[in-house]
Amino acid sequence: MRRPKKYEAGEATQYISRRAALRKLQLSLNDFRRLCILKGVYPREPKHRRRAQKGSSDIKILYHAKDIRFLLHEPIVWTLRDYKIFAKKSGRDRAIKDFRNLKRRLAMFPEIKLDHIVKERYPTFIDALKDLDDCLTLLFLFSTFPSLHLIPREQSNLCRRLTIEFLHYVIASKSLRKVFISIKGYYFQAEIKGQKVTWIVPHYYPFKPQSRQEVDFKVMSIFVEFYTIMLGFTNFRLYHGLNLAYPPQFPSNMLQDNADTLKDESSFVSDRITALNFELLRTDKVQEDEEEPDIDMELLEQDGDSKRIIKMKQEAQEVSRLRTLFKGLKFFINREVPREPLVIIIRSFGGKVSWDSSVFSGATYDESDETITHQIVDRPSLSTQYISRDYIQPQWIFDCVNQRQLLPTNKYFLGEPLPPHLSPFVDAKRDTYIPPEEKALHDPSLIETHAQSEDESEDDAAAEEEDTVEQELLDAQLQRAYQQETAEYKKYGGADGVNEDEEDSDEEDFDGEEQESDDDDEEELDEKEKRLLEEKQKMSVQSGKVHKVNKRQVHKAEVDEHRLQARMVKPRHRNLFRKLIREKQAKEKEEWLLRKKRRTIETDAKEAKKLAKREARKAAAAAAAAAAQLGAK
Amino acid sequence: MAAQEPGMKKKRISKKNKSAWRKTDIQDVEQFLEDQRQEERIGTFTDKQNEDLFVVDASPLKTVPSQLSVKKKRKLNALKPMRSHQALENTSKVQDPIVKRNHVRQKKNGRNIELEVRNPTKARHRQANSDRGLYYEKLDQRLTARESGKKDNKVDKDIWQEVDFRDKIPGLKDEKGWISRDLAVHIAGNIGRKVVKTHASLHHKTTKAKKFEAPHPGMSYNPSLKAHQELLAQVVDREEGIIKKEQHLKRVTTSMFSKVTPEERDRRRLNEMSEGIKEEGEPASASEDEEGAEQKPADNSYSTVNAPVENKKKSKQSRNKELKQKELQRLHEAKKALKKQTADLIRIKSIRAEVKEEAEELNEVKKRRKAKAERKKFEPKRLGRHKFVEPDVDVNMPEDLAGNLRNVKPESNLLTDRFKLLQKRNILPTTVAVTRKRSKVKRFPRNSHKEAGVSFQDLRAQRKAAAAASKANNDTIKI
Repeated sequence: MRRPKKYEAGEATQYISRRAALRKLQLSLNDFRRLCILKGVYPREPKHRRRAQKGSSDIKILYHAKDIRFLLHEPIVWTLRDYKIFAKKSGRDRAIKDFRNLKRRLAMFPEIKLDHIVKERYPTFIDALKDLDDCLTLLFLFSTFPSLHLIPREQSNLCRRLTIEFLHYVIASKSLRKVFISIKGYYFQAEIKGQKVTWIVPHYYPFKPQSRQEVDFKVMSIFVEFYTIMLGFTNFRLYHGLNLAYPPQFPSNMLQDNADTLKDESSFVSDRITALNFELLRTDKVQEDEEEPDIDMELLEQDGDSKRIIKMKQEAQEVSRLRTLFKGLKFFINREVPREPLVIIIRSFGGKVSWDSSVFSGATYDESDETITHQIVDRPSLSTQYISRDYIQPQWIFDCVNQRQLLPTNKYFLGEPLPPHLSPFVDAKRDTYIPPEEKALHDPSLIETHAQSEDESEDDAAAEEEDTVEQELLDAQLQRAYQQETAEYKKYGGADGVNEDEEDSDEEDFDGEEQESDDDDEEELDEKEKRLLEEKQKMSVQSGKVHKVNKRQVHKAEVDEHRLQARMVKPRHRNLFRKLIREKQAKEKEEWLLRKKRRTIETDAKEAKKLAKREARKAAAAAAAAAAQLGAK
Repeated sequence: MAAQEPGMKKKRISKKNKSAWRKTDIQDVEQFLEDQRQEERIGTFTDKQNEDLFVVDASPLKTVPSQLSVKKKRKLNALKPMRSHQALENTSKVQDPIVKRNHVRQKKNGRNIELEVRNPTKARHRQANSDRGLYYEKLDQRLTARESGKKDNKVDKDIWQEVDFRDKIPGLKDEKGWISRDLAVHIAGNIGRKVVKTHASLHHKTTKAKKFEAPHPGMSYNPSLKAHQELLAQVVDREEGIIKKEQHLKRVTTSMFSKVTPEERDRRRLNEMSEGIKEEGEPASASEDEEGAEQKPADNSYSTVNAPVENKKKSKQSRNKELKQKELQRLHEAKKALKKQTADLIRIKSIRAEVKEEAEELNEVKKRRKAKAERKKFEPKRLGRHKFVEPDVDVNMPEDLAGNLRNVKPESNLLTDRFKLLQKRNILPTTVAVTRKRSKVKRFPRNSHKEAGVSFQDLRAQRKAAAAASKANNDTIKI
């Protein structure tokens, strides 16, 4: 038998160094890089580097040999080789000044085709959506670039067109869910076909020079080349899913490079935003207002009201409310406010938006329009103000979207110090323990009561301490009851379909209206009184019965249910089930511990306060007594 | 003999009868006679004066400028035979003695493409012609498209529609379920429409790290105090780690060595470099030299520093002794081991404890290794020469927080951010940009160049302006 040689089997044959790959594919390093990025073939780290590198221990860039063999089949390898030939031939023509031939050659420039690669890398549409995060962020960034050394102007133009198309889809499908202003840029999260797609839009659209030391522009440009094709196909499918015509037809002067946009950055940016503020052409005649049929949540009834189902229902309800958050509202954006994110947000939740037509193009109505409900301002004061509208700071829009309701505008008024802008990516309703301070941040209704109660306690006279405590307790109980009520209301939604939040925000108005209605109804008062009197006579008070809950029975039922559940679990999933239960228990225990800790700390603090007060009182009394004695003396 | 060409031979005609004689060509004789008669009538050239024969041309010579451009002239010239070939041309008036030559026609190298295009004879000619036709058709299309300025939309289909490759190949369209998929794949490969399957490992994730990392709430442009403090603490932690590492490196390297002044260093270096070189001025060394010189001729034999190796042989007796000793040693050890075994019987409890402890330790190691492997799944892999370094956390310092959108101070570079993210997800190997160093160019002004100095007038004007400004300032302060 032949003695087996070293490195003829095993890990050494599974990996191939980059150099060897180049030789095998007969490509230059640049072409190879391009091919790998386009095909999604990335270097690998071997388990045993020395074995994989046939004995040498320096760190080389390695690829799976299988991957490289796969690349051998790729038709674009031939196109890449054609590029080389093209460069040689056209270079020769240029050198001997054979311009007729050169023109012919340039016209026949070998074009690379990536359709099949997109399909190959993302076998299903959902796969493509899952990988859209990077794609969108990069394209948004590149759409701001001027033509640079390694980035042709066509590429950044294409990026601009594609991103605007995508934004139009987001607006048309109302799929925006979360927004966040960070110091990096604006985060947007949309939910498309159940996939969460997140992207970042940089703060200032005008281009900022990038250092070449940190980033390899050529590599990024290749990524963008692939992503443009991918986003193009994704847009195509998304548009057709909504019965929109693709490619969308923009007015002819829009999104075209002309002398004006090339010269002036602000007009370049305003062109983008103008393109966003207009309705798309539909291929069918369906009204846009018609709601697409949502998943019927009632179908999930069979599991009763398990925690998850309730949560899902609540979520669905919130989303359906969110989609029409700004419906019927008219916004006007002042000059100094960054318009792009605001236009996207307002339009995707059904609002109408315009801006100063004298400064930027594409305004749909003027500032003097009386039907405007909100004007977005980001400066401390404004000389001329209309009574009919709210003057708010831009953060209101973002916070409304994240809270999924129209927040009261009073905290966001012109020149008001803003409440903190919280990240929507931290789940406020997560299952773990949330300290009351954080809860208060998310629910502004809690914050006021909290502050008030503290104030009261401070103001209270020392003698009436006990009473106030009782009062507070009562208040707290009442509040809790109220909160429970609202929570239930939220859970099952308003029966009459009135937006609850609107009620909140317009509470004062409501009171006024009620009074007015009372005045109107004075004529019918007599009849009503009679009826009321009759009813009163029939009324009687009965002693209430305490509904007793048999705790043991409830507990038994719970245990039984749990057992049944455990029995239903398939044997192969038993470990998983146990793990889940264990995790749940651990989480509950942790939450309980934290709450207990908090409680003890708070009670200790209260006690200490009480003690201090009592001692102070005693000391004061003693001092008074001493003073009296002195006086007597 | 004007009619007769020089090369032609006279035809012989028989002059047997009278009619044959009539065929005789007498034209030359008649021509001669005619010429003679005419001379007699009008005289010869020699009789005439020069004035009668020639006229002086008084009008200027008109040269018609050629209408051709330089380019065309060049083209025409190009058609002419080359001047270098003129020397090879036969200018001799002497006729070629050989009337009929066999021309040796040289066979042309390669194919005559023109001929093949004009009248294709073989199948490959026809194929080439059709290919050429397609090429020019495509060229025309592209040229017209470019002229009209219309860009063809590359995206005009839904690529995610379910399409079976068998539907595209007519023979393979399987309506009756007779052709299995494997067979279809095989046939497609043979037809030339190979179905390439992507292997699954291409879609495997190489890291468990999340694609999208949610931004820290402290990165908000208007963060809550708590979130911002948390983020700041994170940054401080990182920075402290870096400082600690730097200090460690400094301690281990720079501060490990004693410091000396530059003069001392130079002196030491000089000493070290001149070690062993004898200085002329030193008397002691000179005496040594003399001694050495005296010794050398006296001791003629060869000597080295190391003692010479001797080949000592062991005697048989000593070998036997050694063997015996070894055997004894072995026996002793065996005895000792046996003794230990018996002793261990008593120690069994503690041994058990030891074993248990060892097992526990091993278990611990196993656990640690497992945890490390799990951690490694989230970390970026080592793909190239350079290690991935986590980028800095983006944070606004408390004084930079404006609290409104107008005065936001954006941190971080999105492009760098993306680039780093790609590296983190094992898509790109970590690289360090290599810049070509520019060769140093020493610059100096030419001798002929003079710097523009400051003139007296300029200085005066400056002084005046400064005085006026100060005066104005004083005024405003007074008011």
